[in-house]
Amino acid sequence: MNVVARTPVPSINAPDAASHHSLDRLWSRAPGFIGWLCSTNHKDIGLRYIVTAFTFFGLAGILALLMRIQLAFPEMHFLGPDLYNQIFTVHGSTMMFLFAVPVMEGIAIYFVPLMVGTRNVAFPRLNAFGYFAYVAGGLLLWGGLLTNTGADVGWFAYVPLSGPQFSPGHRVDVWADMITLTEISALVGAVQVITTVFKQRAPGMSLNRLPIFVWAQVVASFMVIFAMPSVMIASGFLAMDRLTHVNTHFFNPAEGGDALLYQHLFWFFGHPEVYIIFIPATGFVSTMIETFSGRRIFGYTALVLSLIATAFIGFGLWVHHMFATPLPNLGRSFFTASSMMIAIPNGVQMFCWIATLWSGPRLRRAVASAVSADKTQDRATSRARAPGTAHPTARIPTPLWFVLGFVFIFMMGGLTGIILASIPLDIQVHDTYFVVAHFHYVLIGGAVFPLFGAFYYWFPKWTGRMLNQSLGRWNFWTLFFGFNIAFFPMHILGLKGMTRRIYTYVAETGWGNLNLLATIGAGIIGISILLFLVNVFVSRKRGEIAQANPWFAPSLEWAIPSPPPAYNYYFLPSVRGGHALWENPEEQPIVVGLSTEKREVLNTTIMDAQPEHRYELAVDSIWPLLLAIVVGLTMTWFIFSPWAIPGGAFASMLVLFAWFWRGTEPKHLIEAAEGEPAPEDVPEEPATA
Amino acid sequence: MILFSRTASLVLAISDIQSALSPAGEQGASITRLWWIYFWVLTAIFILVAIFLFLAMLPRRKGPVEAGPGAIEQPPAPQERSLAKVVIGAVIASIVVLFVLLFVDFFAGRSIYALNDQNTGDANALTIKITGHQWWWQVDYENKAEPSKMMTTANELHVPVGRPVKLTLQSSDVIHSFWVPNMHGKKDLVPGHPTEMWLTATRAGTFRGQCAEFCGLQHAHMRLIFVADTPEQFEKWMQSSSTDAPPPTDTLARGRDVFMSNQCMMCHTINGTNARATVGPDLTHIASRPMLAAGAIPNTRGYLAGWIANPQNIKPGVRMPPNTLPSDDLNALLDYLESLK
Amino acid sequence: MSTPAKTIDVSHLEPHVMDARSPIWWGNLLLLCIETTMFALLVATYFYIHMNYAAWPPPRATNSNYQTNPALGYPTINLLLILASVVPMFIADRACLRRDAGTVKICMTAMVIIGLVTIALRFLEFGCLQFRWDDNAYAGIVWTTVGMHLLHLVTATAENFILCLWLWIKGMDDKHARDVRVGAVYWYWIAAIWIPLYVIVYFGPRLI
Ligand code: HEA
Ligand code: HEA
Ligand code: CUA
Ligand SMILES: [Cu+2]
Repeated sequence: MNVVARTPVPSINAPDAASHHSLDRLWSRAPGFIGWLCSTNHKDIGLRYIVTAFTFFGLAGILALLMRIQLAFPEMHFLGPDLYNQIFTVHGSTMMFLFAVPVMEGIAIYFVPLMVGTRNVAFPRLNAFGYFAYVAGGLLLWGGLLTNTGADVGWFAYVPLSGPQFSPGHRVDVWADMITLTEISALVGAVQVITTVFKQRAPGMSLNRLPIFVWAQVVASFMVIFAMPSVMIASGFLAMDRLTHVNTHFFNPAEGGDALLYQHLFWFFGHPEVYIIFIPATGFVSTMIETFSGRRIFGYTALVLSLIATAFIGFGLWVHHMFATPLPNLGRSFFTASSMMIAIPNGVQMFCWIATLWSGPRLRRAVASAVSADKTQDRATSRARAPGTAHPTARIPTPLWFVLGFVFIFMMGGLTGIILASIPLDIQVHDTYFVVAHFHYVLIGGAVFPLFGAFYYWFPKWTGRMLNQSLGRWNFWTLFFGFNIAFFPMHILGLKGMTRRIYTYVAETGWGNLNLLATIGAGIIGISILLFLVNVFVSRKRGEIAQANPWFAPSLEWAIPSPPPAYNYYFLPSVRGGHALWENPEEQPIVVGLSTEKREVLNTTIMDAQPEHRYELAVDSIWPLLLAIVVGLTMTWFIFSPWAIPGGAFASMLVLFAWFWRGTEPKHLIEAAEGEPAPEDVPEEPATA
Repeated sequence: MILFSRTASLVLAISDIQSALSPAGEQGASITRLWWIYFWVLTAIFILVAIFLFLAMLPRRKGPVEAGPGAIEQPPAPQERSLAKVVIGAVIASIVVLFVLLFVDFFAGRSIYALNDQNTGDANALTIKITGHQWWWQVDYENKAEPSKMMTTANELHVPVGRPVKLTLQSSDVIHSFWVPNMHGKKDLVPGHPTEMWLTATRAGTFRGQCAEFCGLQHAHMRLIFVADTPEQFEKWMQSSSTDAPPPTDTLARGRDVFMSNQCMMCHTINGTNARATVGPDLTHIASRPMLAAGAIPNTRGYLAGWIANPQNIKPGVRMPPNTLPSDDLNALLDYLESLK
Repeated sequence: MSTPAKTIDVSHLEPHVMDARSPIWWGNLLLLCIETTMFALLVATYFYIHMNYAAWPPPRATNSNYQTNPALGYPTINLLLILASVVPMFIADRACLRRDAGTVKICMTAMVIIGLVTIALRFLEFGCLQFRWDDNAYAGIVWTTVGMHLLHLVTATAENFILCLWLWIKGMDDKHARDVRVGAVYWYWIAAIWIPLYVIVYFGPRLI
């Protein structure tokens, strides 16, 4: 039993302002807008991902509210069918491709290098390119919606409806090319994360000491690598079938093509996709549960193995989205079994989390002391210490509320997933609001709740200030109730025959009341999101200054100041266990001898993380942005003409030549920054409360 | 169970004629039974796990509080071991439950397929061909005696109670999905993959079906009325539906001429006349159908007039063009159509 | 407490490595995993489409006595050339380890020339397929498979070209020697993956 040392751990941070300044200048981006565009720092890129993705969440959420208004009463004339179809498609596509996947990726890019104890990701310029490609995809889809060219065939764009015959115009092309751009970005991010984790861990961080968060990101990245090609092929075939002058027949039954081929290709990606979203979120949950229970997580090995098992089984489920299609029965039954099997690793995770909470000393004591303080009429003190302040002893800390919400809601969604896995039941509820309810329970419960928890948990890391904790609890409860009011009724609606993707319904169906309820719930969710935004904007400037390690967390990111300096660690740390900050970090050896002239990081061996060699990272560069612009324009051109591919390939090659040539001449940007006024000194260690 | 769901429906004012939980067919009934097994087992799991989560969060003071807020502590090995036992127990229990669910699922599926096999040999079985169009259902009744004389109707399906019905399903354009929840689960109509499904109605009544796969602008208005008739009613309906439209009386002749001299006849069929096109629904007995435009509007004179004048108002995107007719022509046409019982 | 007792001094470690320890090597490997998945899915599509046809290759309604099996001449020459090109690539790869800049330069120049020849041959190969991409689904998948591989030939040749340019102009440093070695892995993969693809594209119609 011991007490966590106060951090940031001085031994790995800059000893004085001058040394901080010199290293900071090496790793910082150049000042000004151009410098901002050229940045390759993982913290810049990660935050950009998070902010952009959250903006898309807001936008797609607004579309959801529009849909809910249209559906609130029977035969509403708020949105016509043409607009409604664009809106639900863009809502779904944005939420999946422009919000859920990128936001997880952004958090990975921000935290993986910090948690493994290094200074940047392995391919910094590629990282910047990935972000810009993602933005290009987002602009394409939303530019389409705003110019009445919004995709309108659903987020999985089944052929033949999305084919050349039934969807003339360019709406579907916009969708297909958005897919290509965002998948490029996801693939780049995955390569990034895996390589960084394999090669750049702090000495001593063998694989069995890797934080579960990092494991989750690695597993999700591997899933990206094997799943995303499938959707790129599906959308590529679709684009080729649609393009005049190309006119292939992949999905045209008259010429030997097949509509079901598209479904196989899409869902071979589409099912892993949902775990690509969910698995990183379980990483947040494990992190927060470990921190707040004050013990090493129960069943580390079991948790890691369940992540890996989920990933493997996740590739064998795709046909459960096609149970209603004319496929042979025998083949389909296999997918029922595998869909049920995946409940086992998910259950293992659930049970380990509950066991950790159960046996964690910190939480129970915090709750106990808060309760006893109340009992002894010491309300004033207990209040003073608890809400509104960042004190981790305040009953149940705000991030943990979101985790508890997650367990409830995700479990519900997972269990309805088991219902969907049964063929007889699925053919009843397939393509009804029951499915809509299922996937909002697992997506919002399984990804959005953990994400909000993560925002409350890591906001101090990003900004140095706490989010307001009691406003946070309002945020939580409105979200929790709003969510259940909005989505629980949809289960009943589905069973009572309400199919999805309908822009209106007649009154005799009797679906009106529950739909109105759902709309009210969605409104409450909207209020909750507004509360969150208010909290962010107020706390960013005026929130309570965060302590160095406000939650007494075990992982390395809390060993350095918040927000972290450009170089992260002045001396790279070493570790001797999976919980660096709980294991007397002061006594750990530190790494010395890395260059102070070049952006150099330490590479370690894959299994045991023994120091292996030094590795120079590229400096900032404008070429990633230019390449993304070229690729974005190519995909826009490809909407109209197949010549975009050779043309774009040629233009990209020119940019890549320049990238290659320039990137090896170091310092040109750093020298530009030379004349600038010195950045502020090392942030002072905040005074303890 | 069914009572449970009925009450819920009453409270919520949801009609039971398009519900997966009020089965009126053999297949639907097996599925509903399976549903309630799943429902209760999974609810029990949910409640159990929730209770444990709640207990885990309860305050319990053990060990010194003074250790400070940042205290970390590994539970002693014996406690950890018993915890592990509980967790492993829970995992094993989950596996057992999953096997039970898989088993029940398997048998429910088997019993449904067994019905198919059994019905295939049934000489009494009725075959109906369903074709999905953007955005309406074409329904063709096979005529065993005279195969060339199919009886064709649209957006309305009558079946006799107790007699197995084989539906052969296909699509003429995009994917649609045939779904009458009270009877059976849904089946997708994928172009290039004709398929079939069996169902047997067990109680008489009128039910609703709906296209379940997104098929474009008017996917919302691609509904179907499903009538389970007693065998006698069914025979009567078949009789009357198989007749040609009678030659119009003098007063109605004008309406027929309007029909034939405008674009109507380029898309529709009225048996017994020259209108033989199959782009749109067969209108030989349109007056006998309760709804128009695949369930979009009730079949009344007013709605019918509005529909003919400008279908795009009612069902934007529908393949039927507007018809600007002088009002007396329109009235004559309506008279004629209303006579097609 | 600013100087802790223990340090790990890494200043003696190599600043560059040229083998599987390098992150670049790993990044490249992961990209090849992506591309391999891509080709695996194309092959899966090929066999899926095969199921839709009674005759394979699909007979052509327009001209039934037309040769439907792809011709083997250029494709086989190209296959042999691609396989043979592994040799100069391998020599360059080894020479990098010895820092033998002269050999590397010559082999890389040879690689660029070979690359251009295989690309040219590839365009002739399209003619040997006997059908246009828009004839039917079978034609579409074959063209796409061959075309995707062409894309890799082009990318790798462009990469070799710029490396070659660098070597001739600026000479060889460790970093670029590593790039050559990583490029070599890419080229080996391009050659290796073409063997099964060649068999499927050119012998699939004959054998299945
Ligand atoms: C984060 C996303 C996410 C997650 C995690 C899941 C998880 C699961 N999903 Fe879901 N699913 C989606 C997102 C997700 N899904 C989406 C977006 C769609 C619709 C796409 C569309 O059509 O637009 C979909 C659709 C979908 C379908 C197709 C429905 C249809 O279209 O007809 C099916 C069918 O089998 C299914 C099943 C499952 C199963 C079995 C799980 C399992 O992984 C759940 C496992 C978890 C638990 C079971 C709970 C915890 C476990 C325990 C407490 C242990 C004890 C439990 C038991 C013994 C049962 N899902
Ligand atoms: C992560 C994924 C995700 C998330 C978070 C959501 C969130 C929501 N979804 Fe969505 N949904 C999908 C993924 C998601 N959805 C998918 C994949 C589909 C299928 C699409 C298809 O069929 O093709 C779908 C379909 C879908 C439908 C079915 C449409 C149909 O079939 O016709 C409905 C209907 O109610 C719905 C509702 C909602 C609501 C009310 C929310 C709410 O939770 C939204 C809450 C958010 C807000 C209310 C925003 C508040 C914003 C502000 C306060 C302003 C801030 C502004 C800025 C920052 C710019 N969704
Ligand atoms: Cu037809 Cu939906
Ligand atoms: Cu799935």
